[in-house]
Amino acid sequence: MNHIKILFFATIRDRAGAKFIELDIPEDLTIKGLKEKLSLDFPALKESMKSVLITINREYAFDEAVVPSNAEIALFPPVSGG
Amino acid sequence: MRQSFRLMQKLPCFRLFLVDKYNAHIAVLRGASLWDGDGFSIENLMTDFPTIFSITESELDLDILLAQITLESTGAAAIFTGMVRGETRRGDAHDTAYLEYEAYVPMAEAKMKQVADEIRAKWPTVEGIAIVQRVGKLYPKTPTVLIACTAAHRDTGVFEAARYGIDRLKEIVPIWKKEVSPSGEFWVEGDYIPKPGE
Repeated sequence: MNHIKILFFATIRDRAGAKFIELDIPEDLTIKGLKEKLSLDFPALKESMKSVLITINREYAFDEAVVPSNAEIALFPPVSGG
Repeated sequence: MRQSFRLMQKLPCFRLFLVDKYNAHIAVLRGASLWDGDGFSIENLMTDFPTIFSITESELDLDILLAQITLESTGAAAIFTGMVRGETRRGDAHDTAYLEYEAYVPMAEAKMKQVADEIRAKWPTVEGIAIVQRVGKLYPKTPTVLIACTAAHRDTGVFEAARYGIDRLKEIVPIWKKEVSPSGEFWVEGDYIPKPGE
């Protein structure tokens, strides 16, 4: 199992009801698999998974990427700074 | 890399310092435009161009930021600043009481640095670059963001470089704002989906 930390921001944080969580995940889990797991663990996030942006260690990551051990994952909506 | 880093520390043009003027950290990297996570690439140490990138909760001082990216050789600066608009008339007309900004700070600052690197790659004539976003609760008329580029002359791409900077910030830098109005509050969400490598 790999231990990871997941940070939530903006709408995603409001819906998850937490700023971050820590999780143990299978070693070969991909971003796609992680999204599916989070949709089950946090039903309130299911709708958000369609447009959510995900980062691994502060770089944008995509469905096929495998989540490394001790990764800092973040989930957030498309950005709106400025 | 460790060995070359030691070498770099001896180079007179290598300076990394933290300015705590705003009680927030503003990294001014002089002469280094590529951070590879392990050290600075040496070829970029031969120039001496300041790059400022920061998320701050403090008031933006445009004069001080401009001074920090003005060199002896600078003759032009393009400065973009955005502020909280209290009355929106275009599109869905509405009033705004305030905006509340938040950022994923370490990633936001790394992506600001990436935007600055992209600007330097596209407009090598740009001298100094400042990219600063203020976060927290900000009221109408308050400056929220600053993108400034300096160069020797105005016809070298500084206007386009600053425009590119704010456009890219709104695409890839993880910052969000919640709009609070007399009729309620909602998170503003962008529509850009970053591509691999961004």
